[in-house]
Amino acid sequence: MKTNLFQYVPGNSVIHRMNPVTKILLTIVICVAAFLSGNLFYLAGLLVVDLLIGIIAGVAGKTWTIFKGLLKIAIFLFVLQILLVRNGTPVLWIITDEGLLTAARVVIRLVVVCMPLALVLAVTRVTDLTNSLVQVLHVPYQYAFTLSTAIRFVPQFLEEMAGIMEAQTARGVAFDKARGLKKFSMILPLCAPLLISSVRRTDQTAAAAEVRGFRLRTRTSGYKKYPFTAVDLGAVLFCALLLAGAILLK
Amino acid sequence: MIQAEHVSFSYSDQGPTVQDVSFHIEKGDFVAILGANGAGKTTTVRLIDGLIRPTQGKVLIHGADTATSPVSERARRVGFLFQNPDRQICKNTVREEILFGLKTVRGDESEEALNARCEEVLKDFGFSGDEEPFSLSRGQRQRVALASILAVEPEVLILDEPTTGLDYLECCHIMDRIRRMNREQQVTVVMVCHDMEVVLDYAQRALVMAGGKLLADGPVREIFRDAELMEKASILPPQMIGLSLRLGEGFEQADTPDAMAEAVLARRGEGGKRHEN
Ligand SMILES: Nc1ncnc2c1ncn2[C@@H]1O[C@H](COP(=O)(O)OP(=O)(O)OP(=O)(O)O)[C@@H](O)[C@H]1O
Ligand SMILES: [Mg+2]
Repeated sequence: MKTNLFQYVPGNSVIHRMNPVTKILLTIVICVAAFLSGNLFYLAGLLVVDLLIGIIAGVAGKTWTIFKGLLKIAIFLFVLQILLVRNGTPVLWIITDEGLLTAARVVIRLVVVCMPLALVLAVTRVTDLTNSLVQVLHVPYQYAFTLSTAIRFVPQFLEEMAGIMEAQTARGVAFDKARGLKKFSMILPLCAPLLISSVRRTDQTAAAAEVRGFRLRTRTSGYKKYPFTAVDLGAVLFCALLLAGAILLK
Repeated sequence: MIQAEHVSFSYSDQGPTVQDVSFHIEKGDFVAILGANGAGKTTTVRLIDGLIRPTQGKVLIHGADTATSPVSERARRVGFLFQNPDRQICKNTVREEILFGLKTVRGDESEEALNARCEEVLKDFGFSGDEEPFSLSRGQRQRVALASILAVEPEVLILDEPTTGLDYLECCHIMDRIRRMNREQQVTVVMVCHDMEVVLDYAQRALVMAGGKLLADGPVREIFRDAELMEKASILPPQMIGLSLRLGEGFEQADTPDAMAEAVLARRGEGGKRHEN
């Protein structure tokens, strides 16, 4: 199912064992590097790095699905760019060399940046992510909790949406026959139950957290520790390498 | 009327959730699907209505394969009550909610006829019609969902845990209403239910599921008397059945309080006679 796309996949790979903070650092470094360098070869290299990370983490299938999904958006953007960029010398019809170059850059950057963001969630438990933010980076627990709830909310929201559409189809609303815009216009009136169930869940989550002593929690409350190991050192070195490469191959 | 032929279904590649299930349900049947949590009951009823398509085998309703016709076109004839009533409710008042269901599938009828039907159902369920569904309690919302399905008067009713969360009296009301539709209008009922007392009181036939497989299919009473089967399916049969089984000879038919009283009285009569001799 599509809703599982961002869900955690258990594993024991090098990537899984990395400190969650290191994973976030790696993600940020890849994003920064992608915008520092405009070199197409370097950007393509980053793409390979993305895919390799996915393969090493043992989530090759998922990486590929994410990649394919992004590719669809990328192709759309690419076409838009080459039609809109007007400077440079024309190559074919209204397409210019400058246009092609810009489009390629934009598109590869998009894919390069989005992939690790999705992959981090696939290889890190959301609780580990927030706990390490709290323990290592001293982020207030409330904020970390908000972040984790938001992340968890997305698949739940999609699932709820699918459930509501199913229930309405069973009542005779012709979702199964509509396509595109028509379908969208049919979904809108159903947003009432979706919103209400979401708000209700938020309330319940808050109440549940409250009863379980949410406010009593401090930075030292978690029993699981997040030490940095040799793997993390390697990852940090790799980050430095990426950044250096980005600056050298501007 | 409903035929499932070697139906299998899996949500992912980690093995099937429903495995090689076959059964026939005739018009006017009142069937309960029993099984522990996660046995695949909800999945099975979703397969029946074609909300999900079998990975193997097929489901026919009135001889038509459910995989090849849209679910929404079946809604006039097949009513489906979901385990979670909130997914179904989408209007601001109970009246609008019931009318919405009526208009989607019976749009060809006159406005007056539909309004009249709506008022009839509102009265039957004891709603004024102006309540806001989302400020009602869970049990009340369950009744709103059920009311809007029954209003349509489908030929087949598929009910996923219709009585869960209802108080005892309301549970009886709703089940009586469903039984009336079943007896008077020959409505076919397929019901998933965890309350074995309700199953014993209302259903004629039971399908027992465990781990996605169909373990047994037969009359409710016979099913409940099969201790080995109950154990396998992790079902605790109604207390009366347990009692009648323990008492053994002479009490085989005593599976309701009335029948039990009769049997006990009959025994006492015999005992009394023996005493005199
Ligand atoms: N949408 C889904 N995606 C993936 N797996 C699912 C989905 N829905 C159900 N399952 C799995 O299929 C199995 C059977 O689920 P199902 O809902 O049919 O059980 P059930 O018999 O209705 O249980 P309950 O009595 O709790 O309602 C469960 O193990 C569940 O984890
Ligand atoms: Mg269920």
